[in-house]
Amino acid sequence: MILRTVFLRIVLFIAVWWILTQGRADSWGVGLISIVSALIVSLVLLPPGLFRFSFAGIFFFLLYFLSRSLKSGIQVALMAARLDPGFHPNIQEIPLRLPEGLGRVILVNTLNLMPGTLSVDLTASSLYLHVLDERQPIEAQVRDIEKLIAHMLCVELEES
Amino acid sequence: MNDFNLLLAVFLLVNLIIALLRVARGPTDADRLLAALLFGTTGVAILLLLAFTADTLVLMDVALVFALLAAITGAVFAQRAWRMEGVEEGKDGNS
Amino acid sequence: MAIPELLSSIFLVMGAAFFMAGTIGLLRFPDVYTRLHALAKVDNLGLGLIILGLLFQAPGLTVALKIILIWLLALAASSAVSFLIARRALNRGVAPWKAKEQKI
Repeated sequence: MILRTVFLRIVLFIAVWWILTQGRADSWGVGLISIVSALIVSLVLLPPGLFRFSFAGIFFFLLYFLSRSLKSGIQVALMAARLDPGFHPNIQEIPLRLPEGLGRVILVNTLNLMPGTLSVDLTASSLYLHVLDERQPIEAQVRDIEKLIAHMLCVELEES
Repeated sequence: MNDFNLLLAVFLLVNLIIALLRVARGPTDADRLLAALLFGTTGVAILLLLAFTADTLVLMDVALVFALLAAITGAVFAQRAWRMEGVEEGKDGNS
Repeated sequence: MAIPELLSSIFLVMGAAFFMAGTIGLLRFPDVYTRLHALAKVDNLGLGLIILGLLFQAPGLTVALKIILIWLLALAASSAVSFLIARRALNRGVAPWKAKEQKI
């Protein structure tokens, strides 16, 4: 399990270095040092075994994310172009069901790019969202994203 | 094709200047922080367009650094000012 | 004009249009939260489209992968920064703007 994590991270760092240097052959000397230090730092800051993820979960999450962020961009662009944007903004409190940690961070950042929502505060139990139109079913959308993130990170949702 | 990229880069630059003028006016200092966001998106887009205009692909690295710096600047600004809240409370209102 | 070039121009123009919409939103929206909505969503979509357009012009695989990497970084950065700005504004007591009929 730990070996698998280390292996995946080494592959990731090699790929990133290869992309950043655009495949130049004479950069691998510095690259080797960078990759080893990146691996050490990542193992210290994010020890293996804290979380798992599923590749299928990442795929579904990305699919949902791309389609919804397209929709949200078009929606706000239209609002900017309209004479009366039709705002009904408010701040809503949504109880969190994801366990603390990475999942919540991903949720907060994802919601910033989703239609009509902007995360404004995060407490131990709740997330505060600024919504552009309070008449929209915001909570249902948050629940959908929660489910996708839970699937992606292989965690259970808590009862709220 | 390359002239087209250049044209779009100039268009985005005009956009960025107008947006920056608006952001500088405030009224709250949270509004002014939006400049960090602007450089992270519009600035990166301009640099990438310019990178593909002439034979200057190195500008891609500049764009990369811009994206990184936008993240760091924004986070540090927000964090620092947030902690100083107790010291200068009420000094900058939302007038 | 070849097909990839045409597609590239279409995506680039769409991206620039979204950037313009984002700027208009920034000028017109009433408070810092709604302006953040405009910047976080519209500008990131604009950047995504510009990068999609540039992918058709990329001279090699590594260049293409590199601009995708820049896009991911910019996306994560602006999302995180918008959360921090919004939280800061809320903590400073910047009240969200409300529609007229809501105030009653």
